[in-house]
Amino acid sequence: MRYSLFPGCIAKNLYPSIEKATSIVFKELGIELVEDPYTCCPAPGVIRSYDFDSWLVIAARNIATAEARGIPLLTICNGCYGTLGAADRYLKEHPESVERVNKFLGMIEMRYQGTTRVIHFVDLIKERLPQIREAVKVELDLKVAIHYGCHYLKPSAHGGENPERPEILEKIVECLGCESVDFPEKLSCCGAGGGVWSGNEDLSMAILQRKLNFIKKAGADCILDICPFCHLQLDQGQKRLKTRFEIPVLHLNQLIGLSFGIKDKILGLHTHMVSTRNIAKNAKKARKDLLQ
Amino acid sequence: MALDLPSIIKNFDLRKCMQCGKCSASCPAGFESNLKTRMIIYMAKSGIDVLDLNELWSCTTCYTCQERCPKGVKVTDAIIFLRNLAARRGNFPRIHLTAIKAIYDTSNGFPLTPEISKIRSLLGLSKEPADVAHNEEALSKFRRLMESIDIINMIREAQK
Ligand code: SF4
Ligand code: SF4
Repeated sequence: MRYSLFPGCIAKNLYPSIEKATSIVFKELGIELVEDPYTCCPAPGVIRSYDFDSWLVIAARNIATAEARGIPLLTICNGCYGTLGAADRYLKEHPESVERVNKFLGMIEMRYQGTTRVIHFVDLIKERLPQIREAVKVELDLKVAIHYGCHYLKPSAHGGENPERPEILEKIVECLGCESVDFPEKLSCCGAGGGVWSGNEDLSMAILQRKLNFIKKAGADCILDICPFCHLQLDQGQKRLKTRFEIPVLHLNQLIGLSFGIKDKILGLHTHMVSTRNIAKNAKKARKDLLQ
Repeated sequence: MALDLPSIIKNFDLRKCMQCGKCSASCPAGFESNLKTRMIIYMAKSGIDVLDLNELWSCTTCYTCQERCPKGVKVTDAIIFLRNLAARRGNFPRIHLTAIKAIYDTSNGFPLTPEISKIRSLLGLSKEPADVAHNEEALSKFRRLMESIDIINMIREAQK
């Protein structure tokens, strides 16, 4: 099956290590990803907050791009999913707005028809747990603090996991041989969404601090996310806070990549803000144990 | 489609609110700021003007309140559409203009920098992503699209 990969602004232009891990992991899984000319999804927190219709038109342009190829659009970011998934659903439920949107898209010879799907990458991983288990080469002995973020789970009209009691990331972490640690307010927001990251830095950092306090107390070796924007907040944000947490942050595709035996340097973990040295050491040791 | 206040009240079921406060008790932004979600819903449904409140912009749109509301009030969606009206009145964080302008100029909210381009090469990725930002024809078409939608004019108006 082929998918049109929608990396999103942050994975492309701030954390290319996430884009790299994604291409490696999906290749290992035998899933073909193609590149297409996309724009910003556009950012739900900012653009949708200013003008819903403008948000819908830009999102529809992106969806129509995958549609023109006749394949589904695959996101690796909760924010992109929050925009593209919600816009696609809105257009499918409101045929009159499809006409409205197509008036704009017609000016640049494009058209939204509603014939493709927007998929969050976790839903593809979910269907392939046995295959992933087979492909695990090194068992990383890591205590992982799972951060679902908001817009993979909510609004729950997206379908899939129960937003109050999701299980899929715990299952994936277990399947990789790691341990998921519990902590209070595990499902709460990282503080980046809704335009708060740029619009109200103090508040954004206060929400992050609260979250990291809980994660630190839980004794986690690393934080696991499924969204480059949460990743940016959790990784870069640690450098903006006074408390020195120093908890490494991994996107799910990076953790899977490590488990598949891919070296940390190849995955670009050294390009993160918070040092991932301990994770790399752990992976190296696990690889050695394997050889003995 | 900037909905007016009566349509927001109707479309997002604000009248069903019974002021239980579950939304506020669930709100990660409310824990750390003056955002009082229950109050915003109360004021809006009573026809009291909320459009000048800075707190409208403290919501992270996490959707926890909307998921938990026992009456099915579409709390987060309502806040987003209240922001649409507030922005037209000039109540919005000015710093967002940078992101909106970046999208207009480059098609990306976070444009590529030379430093990241270098990291991309080191990781064996293409120096520049195969996106609209690096495709001249697609970018000029995208700008044409941006010129035709409301957000650009709205921002220009609000800045006057
Ligand atoms: S949770 Fe729902 S019913 Fe309760 S105060 Fe909030 S909006 Fe009103
Ligand atoms: S969506 Fe906004 S108002 Fe509702 S709980 Fe989240 S931050 Fe608070």
